[in-house]
Order: sequence, then structure tokens, then C-alpha cells
Amino acid sequence: MTERRVWQMIAALLMLGVLLLPLSQALFGLRLTYTVRVVALGGSLLGALSGALGCFAVLRRESLLGDALSHAALPGVAVGFLLAGRQLGALLVGAGIASWLGLRLVAAILRTTRIKQDAALGIVLASFFAAGIALLTYIQSLPDASQAGLDSFIFGQAAAIIESDIALLGGIGLAVAVVLALLWKEFKLLTFDADFASAGGLRGGLINALLSTLIVVTIVLGLQLAGVILMVGMLIAPAIAARQWTHSLEQMVVLAAALGAFAGGSGAVISALDSDIPTGPMIIVVAFALVLLSITLAPGRGVIWSQLRQRENRRNFRSRRLEPGA
Amino acid sequence: MMGLERALIEMLLQFVTRDELNAFLRSPQHTATLVGCLIAVCGALLGTFLLLRGLSLTSDAISHTVLLGIVIAFMLMTGAGLEGDTSSPWLIVGAAAAGVGTVLLTEALHRSGLVRQDAALGLAFPLLFAIAVILVSRFVDDVHLDDDAVLVGEIGLAWANTNSHCFEHCGVLRITPEHPAAQQTRQCANCRELGISPRDERAEFKEVCGNCGVYSPAQAWSAGLLDEAPTLVFFPKSITVMLVMTALTVGFVAVFYKELKLTTFDAALAKSLGFRPAALTYTLMVLVSLVAVGAFDAVGSILVIAFFIIPPAAAYLLTDRLSGMLLLSPIIGGAGAFFGYDLARGLLFGIFPVAEGIAALNAIFGLQLREAWDSSISASVVLTMFVIFVLVWILSPRYGLLASAIRRANSRRRFEDQVVLAHIHNHQGTPSHAIELQAATLHLHFRWTPQKMSRVLMRLRALGFLSLEAGSAILTQRGDAHVHAFRKHMLVAHNIPDIDPTQP
Repeated sequence: MTERRVWQMIAALLMLGVLLLPLSQALFGLRLTYTVRVVALGGSLLGALSGALGCFAVLRRESLLGDALSHAALPGVAVGFLLAGRQLGALLVGAGIASWLGLRLVAAILRTTRIKQDAALGIVLASFFAAGIALLTYIQSLPDASQAGLDSFIFGQAAAIIESDIALLGGIGLAVAVVLALLWKEFKLLTFDADFASAGGLRGGLINALLSTLIVVTIVLGLQLAGVILMVGMLIAPAIAARQWTHSLEQMVVLAAALGAFAGGSGAVISALDSDIPTGPMIIVVAFALVLLSITLAPGRGVIWSQLRQRENRRNFRSRRLEPGA
Repeated sequence: MMGLERALIEMLLQFVTRDELNAFLRSPQHTATLVGCLIAVCGALLGTFLLLRGLSLTSDAISHTVLLGIVIAFMLMTGAGLEGDTSSPWLIVGAAAAGVGTVLLTEALHRSGLVRQDAALGLAFPLLFAIAVILVSRFVDDVHLDDDAVLVGEIGLAWANTNSHCFEHCGVLRITPEHPAAQQTRQCANCRELGISPRDERAEFKEVCGNCGVYSPAQAWSAGLLDEAPTLVFFPKSITVMLVMTALTVGFVAVFYKELKLTTFDAALAKSLGFRPAALTYTLMVLVSLVAVGAFDAVGSILVIAFFIIPPAAAYLLTDRLSGMLLLSPIIGGAGAFFGYDLARGLLFGIFPVAEGIAALNAIFGLQLREAWDSSISASVVLTMFVIFVLVWILSPRYGLLASAIRRANSRRRFEDQVVLAHIHNHQGTPSHAIELQAATLHLHFRWTPQKMSRVLMRLRALGFLSLEAGSAILTQRGDAHVHAFRKHMLVAHNIPDIDPTQP
């Protein structure tokens, strides 16, 4: 697809996203309550954020890192609660520190042993999550009653999102956008050719740590909405979908953000239409539908196109006369 | 299943009395440890092959999507009018199908050539898990598929969920309305239908037998309907399930050991020799799903992956042999299960009390945390495994952090020795001798610190390789022999002809 077409597609997606709430109000009779608006906004902000950053995770073949890091956040939530009580800030900081520690542990295992990435991720995921569960069980045995709902971090609870969370998401999203814009060249180089980057004098470790920190922050923010298990889907599905449409990183990141926002918003709307459908899982299903659409339909790269091309090639080959010695 | 249990109990009763057996099984600790060890053995054996094939996280994916299989099987069963029992074999079939389905979906995504392996896995399992969660909250209301049961499980309750087996005085009691023990009550037959109270004059009454039905010996005894106590053995269901899984796993690994080994280390060779690596992989995945389902009640869907990943990873740092890994990883997993119970009750490895640690934290940071530590058993088992992994990581004789630090220090020392000896050997007896070999300025030629140089010189003198004469370092006879031996060794190693540069 030409570059221009992709930009047009992004614009169309954004338009659709803006019109999502009014449209669903008109078509499906959705009642635009305060909760619906806040959850839809939160979902699309989170989708945009995780879509943009997920591109780097996918391209660096670290798709499952998000899974391990989101599970690793749990003990941090518990420790944050033990130290500071039920304050969202403390819980989020604790979660961030814990998943950052998990990240360092994965790196240490990979550096000093012959254990491969998949097993290293699994070790960190399971043991950190176990520590989190052990601490949560301990907390539940405390006489203090305010711990109720701490385990909503495991499954996510979209309905609990309030306006201040939106402000937080928006602020962080803005900060991430600024960092991405400022360090675009560095991130791009590191993603595609880390060796060349460090040979060229780039402080690879620092940039790497920054990128990982951004991903950790996104995961921690997403925990409330999507929960630890589904967060990995939020992170990589929009990126994989976007990858099918374009070959340029700029477009991929913007498109992934748009697709993520669309999935987040429409997932929230669908779950608002039926009170029995939970929001986080619905967002994942929508995101996967986008992936499926992209994989089959994307011009040039998609399954349908490559099938057509194969058939064409086969026909050409058959019709050509093969002459001996030619 | 019941017949199997009965045969097992009869075998056990050859060795212990019935009361001893009941007392043993009724202890939460014994049952939890036993179930934990069995899960650990299954997980460790299968996990070894997953680890070596780079598929460890597939167990993570499968353990999540197993939920989808269980939910769909459950919905189909209730739809077909069957009793929705959570321990039905159909649920296990559904779970195994979901496990294979995950692998198939991942491979389909991967084979399209558009999505990488890890990304395909990361796409497939959140999707299937999300669908499962949606189905549960949309269509299934009354199952015990709540958060905690799904994610954590409670191995500490395994002892309470039992089948009872009767060995003596086992009359199955059938109480009919004519039975002398039957209790008849009057009940309003049309009250609910008409929405009236029993006192309404339109109410019609009928005689209903309150306690009619078929009683198993255990139920009859507890309802006080038997004069003589039946001889009963209560056997936890989890133990039976995991015993079957263990038998399947051990049998699979024992029978297909050669094939598994070959396909794990050289899939292409295995295929060209006429084996079917794909068939074996799918069997492996079916077994992983079965173990994940079997362990579902006990440890939940996230923590079970620790049993697949951590013990084999620890064993991988201890040995280079497949047979060694297959032997060590169940032992490590079993040790985790054994000591995990103690940790949940507040004793790490049965020695170190957790309460003292919390007390120390309270003292240092001025916190007011409750010191009594009483926590989830399954999480503690995983934590114990992780502690064992860390110990192995540090202490492993071949690949441990300590061993490689020592090895690195040794080779650094050897390198320092060699360069200093080579330097002296090159300049000894040449005109630059006096400048190059002054002990006081020797460090300048290497750009080392004086301290480092004096340390190296001291070591070399202690080894008897060099001596100081008039402030210059010169090789002793022994040092000279060492340099020549080393030079020869390097020349041979790099296949260079030995030409003495001093000869024209």
C-alpha cells in the first residue's frame, strides 16, 4: 500500500473513533452514561499508548516480555499496599518497581546462564506472581478491611476507572509521545540494529532501559483496565495488525496507536451494550479481530493477496513453454 | 476411576491399617505434599522437553486456554441436559482439546509467515482466555469458576474432596416410603403454581417422603440410618487424578524416550529417519494440557507453569545430560512441594522462621506488620522452587555464578602471568633489558597500576618463575621452561610453524 493510502486509513480510523460514541448511540441505543464515556475514553487512551509502544516490543522479538512483566507487577502492588495503604499512586509505583525488577532478573538470567529467553520469562513470571499471591493471601489475613478489591489487578476492572485515572493516562500518554518524538532516531536504530547502534556510539543500555521503562509504565497503567493476563494482548495485537499494512516504522507506530485506540473504545462500547460482557476481554477480542482482518486483507502482504499472487505465478509458470536447453 | 482407587487402597491396606491410612490422608499436609509432589513430577518431566525445545511459554499459554476448554465442555454438557459436574471426564477432554487448539492456532498464525512465533503465542492465548472469561460471565452463572479458583487453586483443601470407599458392612440403603425409617411430611402441591400460601383454602396437600432415596454407606452412616459402622476409607480425588497423570507421563517418557530425545535435539534428522516429530509434539502438548487440568484445582492456571519451567531450568544448570535432567528436575520440583508447605506455615525450608524476617522488617523500617505468616500453599511451593533455582544458579558447580566468577578470576590471573612472563622473555638479554625490565617501572609498559603489577610480580616470584636482580625482573630456569612450554602449546594450538625469530 502506498504511504498516502496508509495515512488516509489512519485518518479514517480516527474519524470512526471520534464518531464511535455518537454512532453507537444512534445505531444501538447505547445510553451514554458517565461510566460509559470514562471507560471508553480510558480504553482508547490505553489502547493508543500500548499500541504505539507494543510496536517496539514486537519488532524486537520481545512480545512475551509484556506477559512476564505484567505478572511480575503483582508483588509490587501488594508491597505498595503494605507500606502505604490503599493509595493508587503507591500501588502503581510498587507495581512499576516490581516489574522493573522482573525485567532486570530476566536480563540477569539471560546474561549469566544458558537458559533461553522463553524459560527465563517463565521463571520470572511464575515466581513473581507466586510472591504476589502469597503476599495477597497474607494481606487478606490482616484485620484491616481496606484490602478488598486488591485482586482486581489480576483480572482488571474497567468500571472502576475514574476521571483522575483518565488524566493520569492522558498525562503519561503525552509524556510517552514527547519521549518517542525526541528519541525517535535512537529507538529506531536500537530496534532494527542494536549492534550498529552501540558501535555508532549510542548509549544502547540507557536507551534500552528507557524503552523498557516506558513499556513497564504502560503495563502498570493497563493492569487496572485489562488485568495481568490480558495486558500482553493489548500490547502486541495492535502492533501486529499495524505491521501488516506498512513497512515504515513511523506509520506502524501511528497506525498501531489508532488501531489500539479503536479496539479499546469499541470494546468498551460493546461491553456497555451488554452488562454481562466484561470490558477487558472484549477489548482483546476486538483487537484480535483487527489482527485477523489485517492478516487476511492487508494489500501485498495479507493471506488473500499472497494466495492470489501464488495462483497468478502458477498460471504464468504453466503457460510458459519450457524448452529443453533453454 | 473408582475401581482404580479401590485397587490402590486394597494394595495399601496390605501394609497399613485402615485407621492409619485414613489418619494419614486426613492430614492436609500429607495430602497437599503428595499432590504437590505428583504435579511436580509430571511438570518436571514434560517441562524438561519443553525447555530444551524452547517451548517453555507454551505451557503458560496452554494452562490459560485450558479454561476455555473447560467452559465450553461445561456449556455443552449443561446444554445436553447432563449434570454439570466440574470433575467430569468430558471437561478433561475439552481441556485437552483446548490445549491442542492453542498450539494449532499459534502454528497457523506463525505459518502464515506474517507473525513471529513469540508474537503468535502472545496473540493466541490472551484471545482464548478472553473468550473464556466472556463466556463465563455471559452464560455460566453457578460454577465455582471464580477468580481465585482459576488463578491460584488451593492445594491445602485437596484432602477434603474425597471419594469414600466401603470395605465392611456396606449395605447400600434404599429408603422407600414404606421403609420404617422413612419420614413423611405434608407439602403443599400447588402453592408455588398459584402463588398462594399453604393456609389458603385452595391449597392441596400431598404426602412427601423427606428422606427417601439411595444412600451410599458413608451417607447412611452419617444420617444415622445404620446400626453398625461401615469400614470406610476416604481417598482424596486429587491424588487419584494426579496418580493417573503421573503414570501417563512417566509411561510416555519411558516408552518414547529415544524418540523424544531425537526429536528434541535434531528434529530434521528424526524426520529423515522416518519418525514423526509433529505427532510427538502434539502428544506432548496433550499431556501438558492434561496435567494443567489435573493440577487446576490444586494450584490454579498461572502457578502451574512454575512446575513446568522452574525445576527443569534449575536442572539445566546442573547437568548436560538429558537423563540427568529427567532425574534431577522431578527431585527439585518434589523438594519444592515438600518444603513449600512449611513455607506457607511460616518456615523456610523447615528451618528459617518467616516471622523473624517480618519482625526484622518491622524493627528496621518501623512498620507494624503482623508477624504470623500464614499464606497460600501453592504460591509458597512455587516460591520454594524459585529459592532452589536461585541457590542452584549461584552454587551450581559448572554453570553457577560462583563457579564462573572463580573461573573468570583464574583465567584473568593466568593471562596476567603469561603476558608478564612473555614480556620478560622477549626483553631478557636484549639491549633494552635495563629499561624494559625495571621492577619499579614495569607497570608502565602494561599501563597497569603499580599495585596490580606488584601483585602479579609477587605471585610469579612465589611460583618461582622469576627473581629480582638489581631491581630488574628476570626469568628463573623454571620460568623459562614455562614460557617455552606455553609458546609451544600456543603454536601447536594455532597451527603455526615454529620458527625462532632470533635465528636469521
